[in-house]
Order: sequence, then structure tokens, then C-alpha cells
Amino acid sequence: MQEFTSGFFMGDKATNGRILVVDDEADIRKVVRMTLQKAGYDVLEAENGEKAIETINYGENRLLLDVVICDIRMPKINGVEAIAYFRSNYPRVPVIVLTGFPDTDMATSMLRQGVVDYLVKPVEGEKLRDAVSRAMEQRELARL
Amino acid sequence: MQNPTDRDLMARITPIKVAIIGAGRGGTALLDLLHQISSIDIVGVTDRDLHAPGIQRARSLRIPIMDRTEELLINHGVNLIMDVTGDPAMGRFIHEHKRPETDVLSGSASRVLWELVQHEANLQAELFHAEKLAGLGSFAAGIAHDINNPLQLIMGLAENLADEKDLDRIYSQAQEIVEAVRRTSAICRDLTQYARKTSARDDTLVALNGRIDEALKIARHAAIFRKITVHKEYQEGVRVRGNPDELLHIFVNLITNAVHSMDDDGGTLTLTTQMSKSEVTVRITDTGCGIPPEMREKIFDPFFTTKAPGKGTGLGLYNVKNVITKMHGAIGVESRLDHGTTIMITFPPVPEAPS
Repeated sequence: MQEFTSGFFMGDKATNGRILVVDDEADIRKVVRMTLQKAGYDVLEAENGEKAIETINYGENRLLLDVVICDIRMPKINGVEAIAYFRSNYPRVPVIVLTGFPDTDMATSMLRQGVVDYLVKPVEGEKLRDAVSRAMEQRELARL
Repeated sequence: MQNPTDRDLMARITPIKVAIIGAGRGGTALLDLLHQISSIDIVGVTDRDLHAPGIQRARSLRIPIMDRTEELLINHGVNLIMDVTGDPAMGRFIHEHKRPETDVLSGSASRVLWELVQHEANLQAELFHAEKLAGLGSFAAGIAHDINNPLQLIMGLAENLADEKDLDRIYSQAQEIVEAVRRTSAICRDLTQYARKTSARDDTLVALNGRIDEALKIARHAAIFRKITVHKEYQEGVRVRGNPDELLHIFVNLITNAVHSMDDDGGTLTLTTQMSKSEVTVRITDTGCGIPPEMREKIFDPFFTTKAPGKGTGLGLYNVKNVITKMHGAIGVESRLDHGTTIMITFPPVPEAPS
């Protein structure tokens, strides 16, 4: 199981934030990680909703995690179910949807559930980083 | 004196014995249609030309072929003679030789019958296409997913290339972009090929294993395969005679159904092909939710669906059955609730060494 390093004792340089990327496609996780690491974020990956829930509950992840980026169409526990879990168990962790299927009904229902952004693939790196940095501000506010 | 219900019953259990004179296009179409109706018994076919298409067809359907027309006309049990030769001389010949109690369908009456058969075939084709297009609608989410994912990869890699300094990484990421473009365009090619109207071309020899593999590729857009193990047990060189487009469609349909039945927990999809002297068999087995016993009878009925309104046409399996019946095959279902379903299809064998 992957775990964020807290950085307090390890002598790492401070991270800009810790992000969990949930997508069933390894390629997508790879490029999203690439895009976010460039902006100084730490990234963990999960290949479906089940793994995502395991990851967030593992070790200190629940304390360190700042933002979740989540796909919708996935096997095992899909995005809708995983997001419902995150919203009810970790309401202070902002969730960004990154999906391949632009669906207005889905977007509306997700935003109603408190998802902070609904992005449709392919999304430009800049747009993704903007969404993450807005979510990060929310996370900071929630921590106060 | 029998009451009407008894008479209906008698009509149903005593088949009408039919003789077909003329084995051209009309005769072949009649053979194809009447052969499927259990209350009609084709006692024989005849044509002056022993190479006529209907003669070939009769042979493969194991329907007796008579050398002499008189043999059929004086045949004791025949109720109805269908003359589709279009030859006025044949009409006179039949009336001279037939038994008085035998009915004759000829001339413009058989023309009308031929038109009806054609009309029916056209309706079936329209319905088949309509269902295929309706089915493509349900592919939308899958297609968007399968196209937008490689696009996201391409976007991410290209953005990265703009400031990547490492030559090896530049080279490998450029390769990845090319591969992703290839994958995306393959999706478009497969789907446009699938969506086009089924060609009305004549039946040909079709390599079944290749068709099933092709169907598997297309079905991957309609259903989520990530947790599905696909297991193939193909016998080499299995062939049937049929329309390749129609075969592709029925396999897409059956494979999609099988995978949908395993949606939540995943499972194993087993595809089996076998060929013997007497028949060709295809089995599509899933380890999914199964079909409740009370529904097994209805699944091939038109408009029967368990999906929400607007989600399924209820014509999928109906069309599957039509195609298979047209090919003189049969389809059957074995299912256990919560354990899985096997769809078994049998086709007539293809004679060895085709010309």
C-alpha cells in the first residue's frame, strides 16, 4: 500500500500538497502524475474505487491527503460510489472529477454532492493545475 | 364432429405437405422461409436445372429432390403444389397430372407470395439495422471513455515534450504518442465498419474464430472488460456459411450481454468453437448473474427487455435468433441463477473442400 511521507522528519522539502489520483488506466495516472509533480505536488495512485478507499484509510494518508482526483467509469467500486464514500467519510477533502464522458446529468449530480470541479478528458495541464490549486485553497480553509 | 379447438389442434399437429416446383430465386426463398415453419412439411423440390440455387439449398436442408415433376404431382400426401417456375406450360402440365384433391398455387398468386416473402425479408433487415443503431447509442459512454483516455495521454505527453530535455525520454514519449493515436484511430475504424448497413451480399464461407475476435474488439467499447478474464477455446478452421456482417453483430450482442451480466464483480467469459461432421457449435459462457427460469422462455421475444425504458430495445436476442434461424441453425440457453449462463448456437456443417 502506498503512503504519503509526512516530510516533517524526513528532511524532504515541503510539498505543495498531496493528491490521490483514481483512474483505471495506468496511462492516465502516469500523465496526471507527471503534470502534477511538475507543479510540486506529491501523488498517490489507485486503480479503482476500492483501492482508493483502502489507500485513504491506510497509515497517515487520511491526515495528509489534500485532494482526490477521481474518474467515474471504473470496474469494482466505480467513481460515483467512491465519491459518495469520500464525501461522507472525509467531507473536508475536496474531490475533482476527471472523466472521459461529458454527461451533464452526471456533472450536475456530482457537483450537488460537493465535488469541487468536473473536468472532461482530455484536459490541459494548466487547467488541471488550476483546478487543483483552487481545491487546495479549499482544503486549507477547511483545516483552519 | 370436432369442435373448433380440436380442429385448430389438428391443423397444428398435422403439417401441411407442400411440393415446390422451380428452384430459382423464388423457390430458394420459399424453401428458406417454409423450412422454418414447423407446421409445414416440404415433401420435395424439383427443377429441370439440377444446378439451380434451390436444388443446392434443398440438399443442405436435406429436403428430397425429385428428378421428375410427375413424381411430386402424384405423390399421395401432397396438400399444396407451389409453382414458382413462372412457366405457363408448367401450369397446364400440373393441372393435367395432379390429384384432384391437391391445391395449386401458381401464376400471380405465387407472385404475391414471393412479394410477401421479399417484404418480410426487407422488414427483418430494417429491424436488424434499427436495433444495431439503437445499440450503438449505448456505446456512447464507452466510446467517449476509450477515445478521451488516449487523448488525455497524448495531451499530457505533448505538454511534457515541450520542456523535456532528456533525449531518450523525448524519443520514447513521442513513440507513445504515435501508439496512442493508432489506438484511437483503430477504435473509429472498427466502429464505423460495424455501424454501416449490413450488406445484402450472398452468404459466404465465414471463418468463425476471426468473427468472434472482431466482435470481442467491438464489445469492449460497449461493456467494461477490466475485471473480465476472456478464455478462448477455439477449434482451428471452424467455418460456417452465412453473412459476415450479421454474424459479427450477433456475436457483439451476445458477448456484450455476457459481460453486462458480470458487471459488478467481474468473472470469466469463455468462448468456444467446435466443428464436427454433423454440426458447428459456438458456446458463449459467462459466470454472471444468470437468467431467472421464468424469463428464459421470453428472452428471444421481440421487445422483451429487463433494462430500464430507453436503455434497451428488446430486439437484440430476437434479431440474434432470426439470423441463426435464417442460417438453419439453432440457439439454446442454459442458465443458473448467480452462477452464469451459457448460450449455445449450432450451425449446419459446411461441406468439405468448397469449389
